[in-house]
Amino acid sequence: MTIYSTFKTDPARLRRRLLALLLDWMSWGYVAYGVMYFLNDYWWRIPLERFYTTLTLPPWGWPAAVLGTLAMAILCELTGYSLGERALKLEVKEERPLTKEEFLMGRAAGKPFWRTQWGVMAVLLLALTVALGWHIVKIDLEALFRPSRRAREMLGEIFPPDFRYFLVPDPAFELRGVPYSILNLMVITVFMALLATVLGAAVALPLSFFGARNIMGFSPVGWLVYGVVRGFFNVFRSIETMLWAVVFAIWIRWGSPLAGIMALTIHTIAALGKLYSEQVEGIDPGPVEAVVAAGGSRLEVIRYAVLPQVVPSFWAFTLYRWDINVRMSTVIALVGGGGIGDMLFYYKNEGEWALLGAVVATIVAVVWAMDYLSGRLRERIV
Amino acid sequence: MAEPYLVVEHLTKVYERGHVVALKDVSFEVQKGEFLVIIGLSGSGKSTLLRCINRLIEPTKGRIFIDGVEITRLSPRQMRRFRRKIGMIFQHFNLIKRATVMTNVLTGRLGYNPTWKTLLGLFPRSDRELALRNLERVGLLEKAYVRADELSGGQQQRVGIARALMQQPELLLADEPVSALDPATSHSVMQYIEQMNREDGVTVLASLHFLSLARRYGTRIIALKDGELVFDGAPEEIDDRKFKEIYGEEAEEVEIR
Amino acid sequence: MAPRYPEAFVHEKPEWTVWNRIADFLYFGLGNLRKHLSIALLDMGGIAILWILTSYVIIRLSTGEIGYTLVPWWAFGLGVAEAAALWESFGRSFGHRVARVELRRVDGGDPALHQRFAYWLLWHVSVLPLVGLLFSPPLHERASGLALRPFTMEGRTPKPWWRTSTGIYVAWLMGVALLAAISVTISWEDLVRLFTRAGTTAKFWRSFFSPDTSIILKTVRALIVTVFMAMTATAFAVMVAVPLSFLAARNLMRGLIGRSIYTVIRVTMSIIRSIEPVVWAIFFLVWVRVELAPFAGMLALFVHSVSDLTKLYAERLESIDPGLIEAITATGANRLQVLRYAVIPQIVNPYISFTLYRWDINIRMATVVGVVGGGGIGQALFFYLKGNLWTQAGTVMLFIIALVWAIDYLSARLRAKLA
Repeated sequence: MTIYSTFKTDPARLRRRLLALLLDWMSWGYVAYGVMYFLNDYWWRIPLERFYTTLTLPPWGWPAAVLGTLAMAILCELTGYSLGERALKLEVKEERPLTKEEFLMGRAAGKPFWRTQWGVMAVLLLALTVALGWHIVKIDLEALFRPSRRAREMLGEIFPPDFRYFLVPDPAFELRGVPYSILNLMVITVFMALLATVLGAAVALPLSFFGARNIMGFSPVGWLVYGVVRGFFNVFRSIETMLWAVVFAIWIRWGSPLAGIMALTIHTIAALGKLYSEQVEGIDPGPVEAVVAAGGSRLEVIRYAVLPQVVPSFWAFTLYRWDINVRMSTVIALVGGGGIGDMLFYYKNEGEWALLGAVVATIVAVVWAMDYLSGRLRERIV
Repeated sequence: MAEPYLVVEHLTKVYERGHVVALKDVSFEVQKGEFLVIIGLSGSGKSTLLRCINRLIEPTKGRIFIDGVEITRLSPRQMRRFRRKIGMIFQHFNLIKRATVMTNVLTGRLGYNPTWKTLLGLFPRSDRELALRNLERVGLLEKAYVRADELSGGQQQRVGIARALMQQPELLLADEPVSALDPATSHSVMQYIEQMNREDGVTVLASLHFLSLARRYGTRIIALKDGELVFDGAPEEIDDRKFKEIYGEEAEEVEIR
Repeated sequence: MAPRYPEAFVHEKPEWTVWNRIADFLYFGLGNLRKHLSIALLDMGGIAILWILTSYVIIRLSTGEIGYTLVPWWAFGLGVAEAAALWESFGRSFGHRVARVELRRVDGGDPALHQRFAYWLLWHVSVLPLVGLLFSPPLHERASGLALRPFTMEGRTPKPWWRTSTGIYVAWLMGVALLAAISVTISWEDLVRLFTRAGTTAKFWRSFFSPDTSIILKTVRALIVTVFMAMTATAFAVMVAVPLSFLAARNLMRGLIGRSIYTVIRVTMSIIRSIEPVVWAIFFLVWVRVELAPFAGMLALFVHSVSDLTKLYAERLESIDPGLIEAITATGANRLQVLRYAVIPQIVNPYISFTLYRWDINIRMATVVGVVGGGGIGQALFFYLKGNLWTQAGTVMLFIIALVWAIDYLSARLRAKLA
């Protein structure tokens, strides 16, 4: 047992110690949450409401939980090598030489993790997560292995898929008064992905140079532009394509392919822009020096020293993105983005499983082919 | 002369239905306790030859005898048992980078221990003692519990030697053991190999890039060119003409010390 | 003419048996077949796509309908084959460029026009019925005195792309593809709306700055469900994907049985992966009862994660350093020991890193899966959207963005630590 008798005042170390304490506090908080969840679940509430009662506490409960977990965390910090300390590698070594026996049998390499405090804690957290996950997600193996009657019906109908409307438009399924066939909608879907990728790459390409540290230099203006462009990439990238699709579907029209294209484009710009600019930052500075030494301007540096180095990986990223966009465009209709998804969800709502099977089979074939194609091309380029 | 320890007869190895021929009808004998050096350009079949001897690569044709046993006829299971007697060290060390030096050295005993124990990482006390002794021998005792990728190239190769020593081998195959090292470290590594050869009586087959190293350490030299044996004799016998024959007309001998 | 053997084999000829000859014929003959066929298929496919797209644009712009060929299908097929034959005989086709070969005389010179003409004529009886390709060299090459040789730039001046046939082809293809895409997906009214109706989303953005506080607790609970859906799905997927990945690694699965297992697993996985989790969620919502929404969503994520992780893991396994395997094998270790000491140490960190990456993706996907009724925050979002409750929807979106951002940051940091 290691007791910390001295408190070093080194600020960097202090910060790490506080971080470790925070981590321990959070893990005990998590334990407390788990305990509360199970208590609520089993004793206090009727099962139907369990989902919404996870955070129900008596009035004195909140301060008690906060202080109790903090106390536990401090206790852990004081009595051994806690999980937080392990994560931040704040080890206090015992100052004594190893005995010959310890050296021989590998004690020097450390105790097995299940005999250390952090190891026990980690295992506890893991077990808690599994138990909590089991309940929160309502895992029910019986339901999985004994499917409902509806499921058996669906399975019976979905094989073989009914390709009746592959070439011929289905009169029952209309978008803005025009009936579509599977093939026509699939082509439109692929075109959506194509436009989004081309547009996105065309915008991301010039932007990426403004988001590269080594191109923008270190003047205040450079910092500002760099910060703004990188911030744009980061913020827009963390907003899912599906959310963008919602926005544009409201903006333009529910079910318009343009909404889907815009959503995919925005996300593509941000994602590709980040990848591109990281690539530009990772170039070999040698050629840049050479062009600068030969008297090249900044544009000439980009044209002759930067572009040749990054073009192959730009292509690879773009192809990768194209692949993602094709996948996304097949389901973006769910949130009003248009494409084959419209048909997919129409058949699902109608319960036309055989027709749905044909749509899914077409999607699989196209996505698989695009995946293969872009994979092969990327291998070729890199 | 005594019965030779290692006999290689008409060894041939071809890849891809004859598109690549790595070894062409190579035959030679090695006496017990010899330090045989194999020289030749890159791609001349040195590595393939060494790997055929412990059958990491299956020969296409030809026979190999070690200590009177025709190893080209052994079943995979028998071959695994036989490999315990053949140590091997590699150009790029081939250590488990993320594991400690001790673990790396102990892998030399895998063939001697029951599988279930080694899968759990349990090695008998005697093996651990042997490991520490061997590490002491290559001068790395205090690094026993350091991760292998934290060592320098020369130290890593010495770990490789310690691993080979753990097998208590009769034969050591060294595949370009010093090519990835700088000249000063090269000599220290070669000296450990020489020590194994002299003190433990281990027969050594080493492929080397530099003729000067081959002359300095080898008791005999064979040379391969495009998979064919072009020279077999004492180190002194390689003169300028022979050298040009082995390495090609434009080659220039480089002294390494 | 006999296939060109390396020297060693010419010496050993007498030892060769009939079986060897058959095996040799298959090896070289099938190699030829594969080479010529892939070039021909690439050319025909390329021309077919160009034709279809061009027709698509013409039909679309002239009548507003959707159509693919201007001529009957048989004429289309013949035309494509003929165009490919001409392209391959009289120029350096797209397929040639991909295979990095070009047509040369057997003695190495530039092909004469009459030779190209003969090549073109014989192409029809050699490549189209495939039999000619089983010979080595193929019939049409033998008769015309031409052969496909590896392309070199030696002694040539590079042409600008717009003067090469492939360059023109690709430019044309891109042009019609974009034209077709624009004409079919973008309508004038939509474009007008895009530029005039931005105001409709204002209520949305406003809620980002003044979220509906009454639903925060509910949203947090839904968020917790989403996180746990992603976590359990990832955890179970790892348990399945790790053993599967060993069966799906080309370098570990040798021999006939091994290769067939490898192929079956890889094909199944790529099919599963082609179906978005959302579609899987639809399936599982029918499979298990609808009340178990988070479970169905979790299963959807699980299935997709298994296929994705298996692929990532197996690719990592395929690129492990074979040197360590050699070294451990050389000590006399058996297969299990090699696995434990040579393979596993190399894959632990990448596997963890891939798992974290997948966990990150699963969190994003879990929000999306919720939209079709897969539980969690996505379901809440869809509920508000359906009810035109924009403020609440905006609040939920704000939470989703925060969650995704936090998880993205966390997983990136952890992965950077591992690398």
